[in-house]
Amino acid sequence: MESVVEHLLPRLKEITGFIYPNEIELHWSILVVVYPYITGLVAGAFILASLVKVFKVKEVQPTYRLSLLTALAFLLVAPLPLLAHLGHPEKSFEIFLTPNKQSAMAMFGFVYAWYLMAVLLLEIWFDYRRDIILWAQEETGPRKWLHKVLSLFSSDISERAVRFDRKAVQAVTIIGIPSAFLLHGYVGFIFGSVKANPWWSSVLMPIVFLFSAIVSGIALVLLIYMIATPMRSKQIDMDCLDKLAGFLFYAMIVDFSLETLDFIHRIYESEESIEILSELVSGKLFVSLVVIQLLIGMIVPLVAIALVKLFRTPAELRRLLYFVSALLVQVGIFSTRWNVVIGGQLFSKSLRGLTAYKMSIVGVEGLLVSIAILVLPFLILLALFKILPPWKEARHEFGPPTGSG
Amino acid sequence: MDVFELLKRIRLFWSRIPEQVQRLSLLAVFFIVLFIPVRNLLVPKDFGKYGHYRPSALEEAAAQEITYAGHEACYECHDDVVDTKYHGYHKTVACETCHGPAAAHTEDPDVELPAPRERGYCPLCHEYLASRPTGFPQIVSASHNPLKPCIACHNPHDPVPPHTPAECEACHAAIARTKAVSHHVYVPCVRCHETPEEHKVSPRQHRPSKPATREFCAACHAEGATTELETRKVDLATHGERYTCWQCHYPHLPGSR
Ligand code: HEC
Ligand code: HEC
Ligand code: HEC
Ligand code: HEC
Ligand code: HEC
Ligand code: HEC
Ligand code: HEC
Ligand code: HEC
Repeated sequence: MESVVEHLLPRLKEITGFIYPNEIELHWSILVVVYPYITGLVAGAFILASLVKVFKVKEVQPTYRLSLLTALAFLLVAPLPLLAHLGHPEKSFEIFLTPNKQSAMAMFGFVYAWYLMAVLLLEIWFDYRRDIILWAQEETGPRKWLHKVLSLFSSDISERAVRFDRKAVQAVTIIGIPSAFLLHGYVGFIFGSVKANPWWSSVLMPIVFLFSAIVSGIALVLLIYMIATPMRSKQIDMDCLDKLAGFLFYAMIVDFSLETLDFIHRIYESEESIEILSELVSGKLFVSLVVIQLLIGMIVPLVAIALVKLFRTPAELRRLLYFVSALLVQVGIFSTRWNVVIGGQLFSKSLRGLTAYKMSIVGVEGLLVSIAILVLPFLILLALFKILPPWKEARHEFGPPTGSG
Repeated sequence: MDVFELLKRIRLFWSRIPEQVQRLSLLAVFFIVLFIPVRNLLVPKDFGKYGHYRPSALEEAAAQEITYAGHEACYECHDDVVDTKYHGYHKTVACETCHGPAAAHTEDPDVELPAPRERGYCPLCHEYLASRPTGFPQIVSASHNPLKPCIACHNPHDPVPPHTPAECEACHAAIARTKAVSHHVYVPCVRCHETPEEHKVSPRQHRPSKPATREFCAACHAEGATTELETRKVDLATHGERYTCWQCHYPHLPGSR
């Protein structure tokens, strides 16, 4: 009892107005912020890859495989925040054994599995197959065996087989785009369908989530490309970068308009929640919503990229602006997720008061675990770079294997 | 068609499939074949018989030890208490809320039940809290007959106040305390509020009066008014003309404006 009181007392001071007793403690912590952030990156990176394949945009070709691997690395980590948050990870597979069609959250397991197995892994496999076989032929030792296993011991690299691979990639991409939309739209759906919560309950939610996902995914691939290329002491392809920044710009415009639409809609509707929500936005969420999400995460990058597009700027400056913009976009999108997840729990269901979120540092639901989960995909990505190098020079151009690698 | 013919056809069909699809389908078949026994092994046999759960969970829940008996069970031996409580203010408070789980006690009365006799217990529900509904009986335990246990004056099974409160302070503590430090300290409440005696028993049904006009205060404060108390006088015609006096002076603390 004593310890409970001690735990709650500092929080009581931050509460304003009237809240229900069970609202003092937020149930969805920072881990639940990390989760939609990561799935958003997955969906965004994948949609970028699909743009390359479906619309055959040549300039961004260098980022095609990079985006696929990025999507994979983040997808593998995506369930971790949920497992950590829910506890009992050993029971998680049961949603696959006894599917519950009534539960949106349970069915999400299948969306995830479908996306991982039927889309992402398949596309990567078909796209890399020929290269993997050729790498395996040149290599020795464990790497050879690793690549042999990865190719599922297939060995056919005839013209006909490779043509089939390409067709398969095309087909998977076409299934993949709606799947990626489903993956992240679903996350938005889960929030949007909580009808008791006026901050979440909105049919626009899935679409807003989707476009912010595309924004964050493109920005992430841009960042990774800009960091990885100099690290391999290669030249950054400026055409590719300009094109990526262009995509980022347009996606942000759409995202921005959707969010504005949502905002205007709420104000015009002026449901009874509007007062507490405006108190929330002008108070506890002011910094994370208006300053970080809107100003730093949206308007500043938009203006920066627009300026670059309008005026001729030297490549050096452009690179800097792109890099900073993409970084700010990441910060902005993360705080978007924060504002949705945490913001939606800060006001009382009585609509008469605000509570506070106190993030713990250690502990499963804490900051350190979240940082670890956010770092993990980059480590996985490094490993993937080693196993399945996405770079152009690792690719075997058509013709007989040269043996030089 | 004999078996060999069939096999041959299957082989022909298989060889026409691109090599990579052969590999993938083998992998898929492997996983599906693996999944079936794993699922059979891990999902309880009777899962889903009644709904999306394991029926034996019902039995497990039913097999849990019962700790609460419900208040009907007490009637058999404590009918006096049950009857008393039935008509009292605590009729909505179950016996086991205060006495704890009593299933074992109903089986065997030698299992003793605790009774919350200490003073700290009742304020769990009755301590003054702004969020408690108005009308719910609340006290400030620090000043409400301190030191004595609550049950010295209130029967827990029929908690009527031992006598109707004599002072308005019992229920209007905040106002009374404010007035006590104001210049109106010697003006009794009932000088300004005509209070029917019933107000102290059922306050909402029998409301006291409240002053309604400037002339009311003028009785003591107008120029030339004569009262038993020494008062300061104001000129009604010029002092705060069009307003009632308590738009500027809080009557229970007239010094604050
Ligand atoms: C089978 C008869 C029986 C039933 C049923 C029964 N009791 Fe009792 N109870 C007794 C007896 C006998 C005593 C001891 C009487 C005494 O010491 O005066 C007792 C004593 C008590 C006491 C006194 C404890 C004290 O500190 O003085 C409480 C409280 C009590 N019972 C509560 C309950 C409640 C609540 C229930 C219903 C859930 C209940 N009993 C049901 C027989 C019963
Ligand atoms: C508001 C809390 C409360 C509730 C509700 C309550 N009791 Fe009690 N009960 C007490 C307290 C406190 C005492 C001790 C009284 C004393 O020592 O004077 C007590 C004493 C008793 C006793 C022993 C003394 C006596 O008066 O016989 C019995 C038996 C008893 N309760 C039975 C019951 C039963 C049966 C019910 C439900 C019908 C019940 N109580 C409901 C608080 C409660
Ligand atoms: C579980 C909560 C609870 C506990 C514990 C509890 N009470 Fe009550 N009490 C109530 C409720 C509910 C009422 C009825 C309120 C109403 O009628 O609106 C009530 C009414 C009363 C009243 C009547 C006030 C009036 O309106 O005249 C008194 C006195 C009282 N309780 C005293 C006590 C005492 C003494 C104890 C400790 C033995 C106690 N209560 C423990 C819930 C509780
Ligand atoms: C010395 C006797 C005495 C003790 C001890 C006592 N009370 Fe009272 N209580 C009274 C009287 C008398 C009243 C009637 C109002 C008044 O005059 O204060 C009353 C009124 C109440 C009321 C009703 C207030 C209302 O709004 O109708 C509640 C509730 C109450 N008491 C609870 C408690 C609790 C809880 C305790 C223990 C912490 C307690 N009392 C201890 C004498 C007592
Ligand atoms: C048993 C508790 C109790 C006692 C004793 C009591 N009152 Fe009240 N009084 C109430 C309650 C309850 C209300 C209603 C409060 C409400 O409706 O918000 C009330 C309301 C009032 C009001 C406002 C009526 C209105 O229409 O707004 C006045 C004035 C008042 N009381 C004066 C007195 C005076 C003077 C005394 C002492 C002679 C007194 N009361 C004693 C419980 C009490
Ligand atoms: C000098 C005259 C005067 C005295 C003495 C006085 N009141 Fe009042 N009281 C008023 C007036 C005037 C109002 C009406 C205020 C209003 O309508 O805004 C009022 C309103 C109230 C109200 C209802 C509004 C409120 O503030 O809750 C209560 C209850 C009340 N008085 C209780 C008391 C009690 C109890 C006492 C004694 C401790 C007391 N009054 C003494 C003049 C007085
Ligand atoms: C418009 C606001 C207002 C209204 C209405 C009003 N007063 Fe005043 N009253 C004041 C102010 C301000 C003072 C302080 C003036 C000063 O210190 O000279 C005051 C002072 C007083 C004093 C103290 C005079 C002194 O010599 O210190 C009395 C007594 C008084 N008012 C009574 C009344 C009465 C009775 C009424 C209703 C008939 C009333 N007031 C209405 C604002 C008001
Ligand atoms: C029973 C007579 C009486 C009535 C009725 C009365 N008062 Fe007073 N009032 C006094 C007394 C006695 C004083 C204290 C002496 C003084 O300061 O004049 C006082 C003081 C005041 C003061 C000066 C307080 C200060 O701190 O300077 C104001 C203001 C006042 N009363 C306002 C009112 C108002 C408003 C009303 C009507 C709701 C009212 N009085 C009704 C007797 C009365």
